[in-house]
Amino acid sequence: MDLTAEAPTHFRSTGDRPGIIGSLREAIVEVLSRQRLIRYLVQADLQKKGTNTLLGNLWWVIDPLLQMLIYWILVSVIFQRGGPDYPLFLFSAILPWKWFASSINDGITSVSSAERLVKQIQFPKLVLPVAAVVAGIANFAFGLIPLFALMLLFYRDRIEVTLLLIPVVAAVQLVFNMGMTVLLSALNVFYRDIGNLARHVLRLWFYLSPALFTLEQLTHATREFPIIQRLLLLNPWATLFAAYHDVIYEGIVPDWAALIRVLIGSIVFLGLTTIVFKRLEPAFAKVL
Amino acid sequence: MVDVAGRPAEAAPAPLRTDAPVAIEVRDLGVQYSLRFTKKTTLNRSFINMFRREPADAFWALRDVTFQVVHGESLAVIGPNGAGKSTLLQVLAGIITPSEGIVDVDGRISSLLTLGAGFDQDLSGRDNIRLAGAFMGLDPATMRRITPTIVEFADIGPFIDAPIKTYSSGMRARLGFAIATAVDPDILLLDEVLATGDETFRAKSKQRVLELVRGAKGVVLVTHDMNWVTEFCNRAILLEQGRIIAEGNPYDVVAIHREHSEQSKAERQAALDRAMKDGAVGSLPPDAARSRLRS
Repeated sequence: MDLTAEAPTHFRSTGDRPGIIGSLREAIVEVLSRQRLIRYLVQADLQKKGTNTLLGNLWWVIDPLLQMLIYWILVSVIFQRGGPDYPLFLFSAILPWKWFASSINDGITSVSSAERLVKQIQFPKLVLPVAAVVAGIANFAFGLIPLFALMLLFYRDRIEVTLLLIPVVAAVQLVFNMGMTVLLSALNVFYRDIGNLARHVLRLWFYLSPALFTLEQLTHATREFPIIQRLLLLNPWATLFAAYHDVIYEGIVPDWAALIRVLIGSIVFLGLTTIVFKRLEPAFAKVL
Repeated sequence: MVDVAGRPAEAAPAPLRTDAPVAIEVRDLGVQYSLRFTKKTTLNRSFINMFRREPADAFWALRDVTFQVVHGESLAVIGPNGAGKSTLLQVLAGIITPSEGIVDVDGRISSLLTLGAGFDQDLSGRDNIRLAGAFMGLDPATMRRITPTIVEFADIGPFIDAPIKTYSSGMRARLGFAIATAVDPDILLLDEVLATGDETFRAKSKQRVLELVRGAKGVVLVTHDMNWVTEFCNRAILLEQGRIIAEGNPYDVVAIHREHSEQSKAERQAALDRAMKDGAVGSLPPDAARSRLRS
């Protein structure tokens, strides 16, 4: 019987591991040849998220709005801070951050929760975190609905053509999301407390990034401490939040040079984490 | 070591070995497990382990394993629990990569290790079939062809469109079996999964397994059922502590295996008796008694 298949019918398995370039090439081939599997996994993921709760996918719309409300009460009402049209400023940062946080939270357990599959079927494990990240895009896409609703209802004068640049900034963020998730999903196989740790690290990360305040406020506040300032500006989220604020809230084009630096950094980071993942992959079936 | 182990295995050479093409070739295979990571570790535990690193934090589940399976051959792998039989199947299926040595597998593999592996509880039976096919790397055309067969074989009626979590365990097992056996493989790996479901389904599934065994170019079977070994296999190897102890005619190898298990049972009983006696006198702390039991 002739079975054309996406998995090889002949294989040789040895103690030798491919080198750095070999691992990277293998990873790319695996992801490209298993696109259908990734698509099914994404579909399954979205289907489950939609049916498990009473309001279903509506939560993707409500969630960022509620979070915006909380920060608005905290900053504008209680602390009497924040700038003009502050809710929109908040929303343009919360939206991409929620995408980032949910990609990581879903992705961290993507390999370790597939324990039985990993131990019983041979398949490229890389598809698991990749599918988790791709499924996360829906989270972001649905969040654009309340964003546009908000702008049409309350901030009509802030609508600019730069809104069309949202996908460009999002594309840069996607690469970064992928790198983080690939790394953490592999580490979580060995250390199950990565998930607990990630929750707190993510929270701190959010507050240290210019999300609730502007990049200018950050540089201004740290002008006496150039080392701390440098470190805070190395954070890719400093650039990403500034870019989202620019295209959504300010209606201006983002700092292209900074964005390209983050893109290149993220691509290199993704490459490195993919190599780490591929190096650890042979041990997954033994450890799980 | 027992002296029967040294008995030459060449007594029963496989008749097909000389000219038949090789389906599986295993040379000097070794699989090492690191004990530091084998159980679900937390950072805490691994820090502790780092400080009192024991010398024996790695062990070989398989070592110096060399054998061939040629076309038309059905090889049984037998041995006591923990001998490395299941690890060997995982290596042949490509799930675990060797720490040393070479494994060459020529042909499409299906392992019945995968009964209902990773069913997604929230998805319907049909969606799970699709997902399982994609995990196994089957292309859409093949999937379209075999899906009706799977549905028919599993015989779970309208439940096929209901989420797996609503299934009884028997239905789950039937669907798992139907998926795992849907494709006729070149090389079949079996790990003691022959009895699932009720009487009728068990008969049906045994029938199907026999069909697959006959259709496959090579079969590797891990089992504790010695009747299967002598009835359906034309060669057997005996694994003990990750090494091949005997290889050859199923009857001979099964006989050696029986002898060894009698012997180790007697040894274990003797050790137990000794420990009980020592324990009764009260001269040994419980730890020492336990370590003696192990040896």
